[in-house]
Amino acid sequence: MSADRHLRLSIALVAIFLAMGLWLEAMYGLRAEGWVDDPLRREFLRLGHAHGALLGLVNVALGWGCERLATPAAWATKIRLAAWVGACLVGVGFVAGGLLHGPTDPGLPILAVPAGALMVLTSSVAVALVRPSDIVPSSD
Amino acid sequence: MTTMVGRPRAAALLLFGPAVIFAVAATSVALWTLADDDAWGPVDRREAAVVQSDTCARCHPEQHASWHRTYHRTMTQIAEGDALLAPFAGEQLDYLGFRATMERGPEGRPRVRIESLGEPVGEVFAADIAMTVGSHRYQQYLARIDREGAGEVWRLPLAWHVAEGRWIHLNGAFLEPEGNLGSEEDYLRHLSRWNDNCVFCHNTEPRPRAAADGSFSTQVGELGIACEACHGPAGAHVERHANPLRRILAADTALRQDGSIADPSEMGADRSSEVCGRCHGNRIARDLGAVLRDGDGFLPGEELAQVSRPIFADSALGGSADTPFAERFWPDGTPRLSAYEYQGLLLSPCHEGGEGLGCGSCHSMHESEPSMQLRREHRGDATCRGCHDEGAIPAAHGGHSEAISCAACHMPRVTYGLVQGMISHRITSPDPAALVGRDDQPDACTQCHVDRSRSWAAEGMAALGLRGGQAAASPSVEESWGSRVLLDLYGGDPLQRVLAADALAQTSTPVDAELRMRWLLGALEDEYPAVRFAAARGLARVASDAAPELTAKVGAYDFLAPVDVRLGAVDALREVLGEDPFTGQEERRRSLLEHQERQLLWIGE
Repeated sequence: MSADRHLRLSIALVAIFLAMGLWLEAMYGLRAEGWVDDPLRREFLRLGHAHGALLGLVNVALGWGCERLATPAAWATKIRLAAWVGACLVGVGFVAGGLLHGPTDPGLPILAVPAGALMVLTSSVAVALVRPSDIVPSSD
Repeated sequence: MTTMVGRPRAAALLLFGPAVIFAVAATSVALWTLADDDAWGPVDRREAAVVQSDTCARCHPEQHASWHRTYHRTMTQIAEGDALLAPFAGEQLDYLGFRATMERGPEGRPRVRIESLGEPVGEVFAADIAMTVGSHRYQQYLARIDREGAGEVWRLPLAWHVAEGRWIHLNGAFLEPEGNLGSEEDYLRHLSRWNDNCVFCHNTEPRPRAAADGSFSTQVGELGIACEACHGPAGAHVERHANPLRRILAADTALRQDGSIADPSEMGADRSSEVCGRCHGNRIARDLGAVLRDGDGFLPGEELAQVSRPIFADSALGGSADTPFAERFWPDGTPRLSAYEYQGLLLSPCHEGGEGLGCGSCHSMHESEPSMQLRREHRGDATCRGCHDEGAIPAAHGGHSEAISCAACHMPRVTYGLVQGMISHRITSPDPAALVGRDDQPDACTQCHVDRSRSWAAEGMAALGLRGGQAAASPSVEESWGSRVLLDLYGGDPLQRVLAADALAQTSTPVDAELRMRWLLGALEDEYPAVRFAAARGLARVASDAAPELTAKVGAYDFLAPVDVRLGAVDALREVLGEDPFTGQEERRRSLLEHQERQLLWIGE
């Protein structure tokens, strides 16, 4: 994923999950059924809203980190992809898990959250550890 | 690091590898869980352990919180802290020649000391309070006393009445004659053993563990009516759901079916009502020995009839032709005591043999307020309107305004329990004509129209276009003497007298308050303390609404005081309210009293 595209998509991610915050507030204000009367759903939608927006910002920071630290392009491309997909999986996993929850626990989509979190985590570790000299040899 | 990081595909492996490994592992465990019979198949709930409500709260916090507010939770508690509703600050209750002192021991533990005021003067017994029973209407107290065998816990004959903020003696809660002054036997009539009585319906999964030598090693799964009283022992359920994948997969409704726990809200009206009927419907056990050893054997979700049969008017014991429970029912079979609500439901046409109305149609453990536990969305007439729509039965049918609820006429207050009148849970249509000429059963119409006769009610039914049969008989001579409720108050059996007092105290009664207070005065002289208590509470209620200046005079009357003290207070009230309705008609009064005296009762709490 190119740096420009990553930056745009990260900011878009922030915008989407911030907009979701407005939606949640509106549901609270309107005392929407299925929201105020469903604590489990409410908790997981809130988690999705908060994690999606914050991890969008983390993506912006990681993109900036890659440029500032001159992370080799072969790494930076994959770091940006993993970080962005990971952030999406966490945010969407919480939201979908909350929307499709069972009697006591979130639904199956919640399993996307640990996978996404691992991708954001490995991306962050990679930005911190990979140096400009860590050049992946050409495959040809 | 450089070597590792520099390898081809290292970036993809390190960045995506952990997530892919998690995904593969999660998918594998999910597939294994789906295929695992132990995760989905039937379990032996009967062998499951009791886990207690705190464990349930970990996954069901909302349900736990709603249950935690209820009086079911506080049905039995350790006697400490907020559980104690009475002060135990040295209060004294003198009654029947004995003095009970409620105080604290050296370590602050609540205790009750009972001493005789007559010969021989001295302590009858003193006991530390171990547990409390009840917290809504009144609270009773349990003490460990080895009277007949080791391990016994006894319910003391005293209770703290919550609304009145006072101690009462339990002879005043049961419908029975007062007892003889100075008789220890009469005073301790309701000193009853908890281990093989109260323990059953006031705790979760009780096991009396009665031994042949008369001792007890009683155990309860949890004090009070907790989660597992209605859902069954949850050990297997908790064990199964320790697997988080099992819980997440259960979000799919197709996979949610779970034999590990009973959920009354998903049962039919018959099974779910049996869960309530276990305690709200007195029963006869099929195997009493097993019950005294291991508990009642009922598992929520299974048929209650497997372990017991509900008591009805014609129930007999051991093949005998006697019907020892008959006096707990009105002549038409309607229960007249509380804790027979389940029988009332079974007798109601709305129950439709288990396919219609159930307890859960009106009540809920989790979606209600603690008092009465009526479903929030079914308040008022909503439940009735679920079947009987406005088109078929207008709200104001029969000349009554919409302010009169369905229950007011179809579930009249003809039940006695917890020292007050209660509504009947047998849903019926009033038919006063069937009771004309009879004095053995109240009817819905005259319980509200307390200044009217039954013939008036019967004629009114026809005039208002309501259903009702022809008068079953000619009116009795007594009917010309006064209203049905007045005749019940002066000449009925103790339960009728309590219900008459209760009827006169209702604020919805369309009759002058002064008249009702004057009539209630007569019941303050009743031989049965329970009747006196009902009349005193009724009088106080009417006075607080209609004649606040009488409050002090009414408050001076104590239904447990010696007779001369009571009569003094009654005389003071008579000076204000006037003579009773049979003044100058001594023959009628004597006739009613004789009728009253022929109808002794020894029932009820």
